[in-house]
Amino acid sequence: MLTETKSEVTKTGATKTNGATPSRPATGARATTEESYPQTTMRVRKRNGTPEPVDVNKIVRAVNRCCLGLSDVDAMRVATKTISGLYDGATTRELDQLSIQTAAALIFEEPQYARLAARLLATYIDKEVRGQEIHAFSQSVLAAQRLGLANERLTTFVGNNARKLNDAITVERDREFEYFGLRTVYDRYLLRHPKTRMVIETPQQFFLRIACALSETVAEALELYRLFSTLEYVPSSPTLFNAGTRHEQLSSCFLLDSPEDHLVGIYQKYTDAAMLSKFSGGIGLAYHRVRSRGSLIESTNGHSNGIVPWLKTLDASVAAVNQGGKRKGACCVYLEPWHADIEDFLAMRDNTGDEASRTHNLNLANWIPDLFMRRVEADADWSLFDPKLVPTLPDLYGDDFERAYADAEEAGLASKTVKARELYARMMRSLAQTGNGWMTFKDKSNRACNQTALPGRTVHLSNLCTEIIEVTSGAETAVCNLGSINLGRHTVRAEEGEGGVSFDFEKLARTVRTAIRQLDRVIDLNFYPIASTQASNLRWRPVGLGVMGLQDVFFQMRLAFDAPEARAISKRIAEEIYFHALTASVDLAAEKGRHPSFEETRAARGELQFDAWGVTPDGSGRWQDLRTRVREVGLRNSLLIAIAPTATIASIAGCYECIEPQVSNLFKRETLSGDFMQVNRYLVAELKPLGLWTETVRAKLKMGEGSVQALAELPEDLRLIYRTVWEMPMRSLIDMAADRGAFIDQSQSLNLFAESPNIGQLSSMYFHAWKQGLKTTYYLRSRPATRIAKATVETPVPPSADAAAVACSLENPESCEACQ
Amino acid sequence: MSGAGRPARILDPGMCLTLRPMAYPSFFEMYRAAIKNTWTVEEVDFSTDVSDLQKKMTDAERHLVHRLVAFFATGDSIVANNLVLNLYRHINAPEARMYLSRQLYEEALHVQFYLTLLDTYVPDPEERHRAFAAVETIPSIQKKANFCLRWLDSTADLNRLETRAHRKQFLLNLLCFAGCVEGLFFFGAFAYVYFLRSRGLLHGLAGGTNWVFRDESAHMAFAFEVVKTIRREEPELFDAEMKRDIAEMFDEAVTCETQFAEDLLGKGVVGLSVREVRGYLEFCADQRLATLGLPKQYGTRNPLAFMDLQDVQEVANFFERRVSAYQVGVVGDVVLDAAF
Repeated sequence: MLTETKSEVTKTGATKTNGATPSRPATGARATTEESYPQTTMRVRKRNGTPEPVDVNKIVRAVNRCCLGLSDVDAMRVATKTISGLYDGATTRELDQLSIQTAAALIFEEPQYARLAARLLATYIDKEVRGQEIHAFSQSVLAAQRLGLANERLTTFVGNNARKLNDAITVERDREFEYFGLRTVYDRYLLRHPKTRMVIETPQQFFLRIACALSETVAEALELYRLFSTLEYVPSSPTLFNAGTRHEQLSSCFLLDSPEDHLVGIYQKYTDAAMLSKFSGGIGLAYHRVRSRGSLIESTNGHSNGIVPWLKTLDASVAAVNQGGKRKGACCVYLEPWHADIEDFLAMRDNTGDEASRTHNLNLANWIPDLFMRRVEADADWSLFDPKLVPTLPDLYGDDFERAYADAEEAGLASKTVKARELYARMMRSLAQTGNGWMTFKDKSNRACNQTALPGRTVHLSNLCTEIIEVTSGAETAVCNLGSINLGRHTVRAEEGEGGVSFDFEKLARTVRTAIRQLDRVIDLNFYPIASTQASNLRWRPVGLGVMGLQDVFFQMRLAFDAPEARAISKRIAEEIYFHALTASVDLAAEKGRHPSFEETRAARGELQFDAWGVTPDGSGRWQDLRTRVREVGLRNSLLIAIAPTATIASIAGCYECIEPQVSNLFKRETLSGDFMQVNRYLVAELKPLGLWTETVRAKLKMGEGSVQALAELPEDLRLIYRTVWEMPMRSLIDMAADRGAFIDQSQSLNLFAESPNIGQLSSMYFHAWKQGLKTTYYLRSRPATRIAKATVETPVPPSADAAAVACSLENPESCEACQ
Repeated sequence: MSGAGRPARILDPGMCLTLRPMAYPSFFEMYRAAIKNTWTVEEVDFSTDVSDLQKKMTDAERHLVHRLVAFFATGDSIVANNLVLNLYRHINAPEARMYLSRQLYEEALHVQFYLTLLDTYVPDPEERHRAFAAVETIPSIQKKANFCLRWLDSTADLNRLETRAHRKQFLLNLLCFAGCVEGLFFFGAFAYVYFLRSRGLLHGLAGGTNWVFRDESAHMAFAFEVVKTIRREEPELFDAEMKRDIAEMFDEAVTCETQFAEDLLGKGVVGLSVREVRGYLEFCADQRLATLGLPKQYGTRNPLAFMDLQDVQEVANFFERRVSAYQVGVVGDVVLDAAF
């Protein structure tokens, strides 16, 4: 790698020795290479407005200061390339920004540039903050207060403990960030001056602010700060956006019950959804109760147009309200497949057909009773109903639902009868064509929910990301606040000669306890945008602790994702997290009291999640003790575990998302802050010592869409470990999710993947997911049918076409198209 | 003119109607793949573009965008016209004409996309009108149009490709179309879009351009496949004169696109210099030449690192972006025991 770079640099005449002035590159018209830059006297405007000639040495020195410990980066290369992208009269600010982008653009060649770019960015942010006379943590909080951004609880807490808190800032922790993570924090999370839009806190000051806002004591704050800043545990985006601010809406998920079947109810839900969306919440909304197309409207003696026009309005509303200007609003609508508008519903994301019936901003999910899946299995008929005629169905599950459904069929109430498999195929097609129309299972979700112990309590839907399972009603809107443990930072490397990496379960236990305490605290601090959320949250006190970076653990341990050992670890992690989360919640109950509705839960009868799965956990002794304590002391939280997709916070933490295998060894992330290259740094670390991290290999990676399977140079075992999710059997993902499911009292955002899906394959896959007892699945990901041409891969010169034609007809006369 | 038999060669004049047996099944497969990638302008989300233009961008960057949109607005129309007036007429294989029909629809879609873009970006009707007059009023775009005229319109009067000279003329047209207009002018224009996106700007433009680029990649692949076919059937067309003409044409195209870059970047855009764009164009031209089995002319490495981003798959955060990677026309029946 280094030699390669050296020879390139020499070609242009620039020496690689840091600090030396590069000589002018050869000026032959066709000798342009990326390393050269024009030798005209280029000037930059300094922050005070005076012009100054660009000095390459100065840039090299600035870059060099950030290169400590990075063996494979070249400061001169960044400096010269930066200058070549500059124009005469650019500002020094632009110069700084450009040097960061330049380093970032080299990430694909050498992942260490991600670290370099992150450090350059950290320096840049630091300059921006200090430029406003903000040096200590307490000063940044004071600034936030002065600008009307911070709340009083935070400023008082910081004011009372300023010295201890200021001392706790650990600037070196900036070095934990990869570029993409820090960029995300800078672009979207740091508090900004309302007018100048400059950031008024550094990343470390930001983490400490969040920690202080979520703590009752300094010791607690410091412990949380340690977890955040080491990226071992990260709370959800709404918590990071809003903690310590004037509107402390810290929850991620809201589950709204279906509007009642009248105009006022329908319009009230738009308002509710808009209010929740404004403060960063993602919305799940059921629509089971609203009458279907053709249903009679008594007051006007007209006929209803069904649910689609209402959802079209919701679609526009969701697009209009963005989340505090920080990200777009998002909503998922749930519908049970007996609803007579189900077929129109499934077409709402199609990109063809009548635009008046299309909702490009809404996500769609099917809330499926077991009865439907059994009719699919038996290839039987399926009846569709107008909810106006069968109003009880949304509130029933299990045997009660099946009785009511059969009665309605017998009474001839069906609007229409279809083959169950036809509708199922329609669902599969919708998944394949749009990724939407998620398959979520009503009966298992209800049977295995801690909140449904009493009759009349029903889970009516999941949330925007299909990991929250909570009861709702007209009066209760379910809420959940989330945080995720970065599993990739809970491993230990054995001492020299003692073998490889192992998972640190003790550290995990400690992190779980701190996290649960923090999540529980959010419930009391939270600002509730609508009243029905507060009612629900204070009664049930649910939280959702999740994970991210499972794939990182397996890469570090050099395990194939679905190897038996990996499966065992994955299951054990789930079990340990559930155990310690329950323990922490019992401790909190002892300290602060159980949640008010504890007696109404399954846990009060001693039933835990795995009982609903018929699973007996290992080490049942400790579980028996815990069960007893739960019954005696109670729980502070009715629900504890939910595995969220962690899209944004995994980026901040620089790890793979939640429980997901890697999508590719080489991909880009598209976000509001632009596109960013991501290379599998574990793979690069394996390839380098083998001398395989070369331009040829990189081109092959690109051509192979990030797959290593065509890299014959790579040892077989590495090819297995570094498979992408496209190359993995989905059966193993589903089975691993089911193993884990016995210890997840809410659910998990489980994406499934199919390169070029067909109905047969999908119908079998989702049938298996249901059989395995999963509560929910999430997106179906597939890949486009044709690809964009590779813009940057060298095209090999083919052998002369005339020769090729001859060869082809001689070697393979039968299949040669030219001869037919 | 008989439509029932298959002509011996794809450029033999006529309107062949026979799809079975199929002489060029790969064209038919390309047609089918194209159908699967149907997208609509309505799916493109322009919501942040206008505020980016107004608040986040410099005058120099806005100039770049306006020029670019002006080029796009007319560029795809030029392509569509040539497709109908030349390619469709002379490529005598019904399966290839099916592909061209699909391509024609896609070109119209692109025009619709850029029209919507123009309406969104440019509120003033006068200025909108001027954008469409770019071919006449903006010198850097006019030069590009003249280049197209010179190499494309030479076949306009040919009703039938009777002579070897005719066929060579047509081949040059096809190569200009695929290699220079789609493979260089559009590749160049897309680079500016991706440059802006790599800085987090104009996601609507970039999102739609992604789909346009996906389509254009397929168009180019199809056209080169036709070239390969012609070459297999009539290798004698690729004589020394032809190779000289091709090299000259590409060189002219690179020069032409470079002067466009000088206009676009003339006001000083941080992070992108004319020199780098020229290097990128040379790199692209080399790739096209290599595909044709001709020697590379420039030997330039791609200097635009952000273009690497273009070559890797996207992982969209659905909170922020609409995912663009789905297929239409998924088939099959429900079975419960298939492999997955």
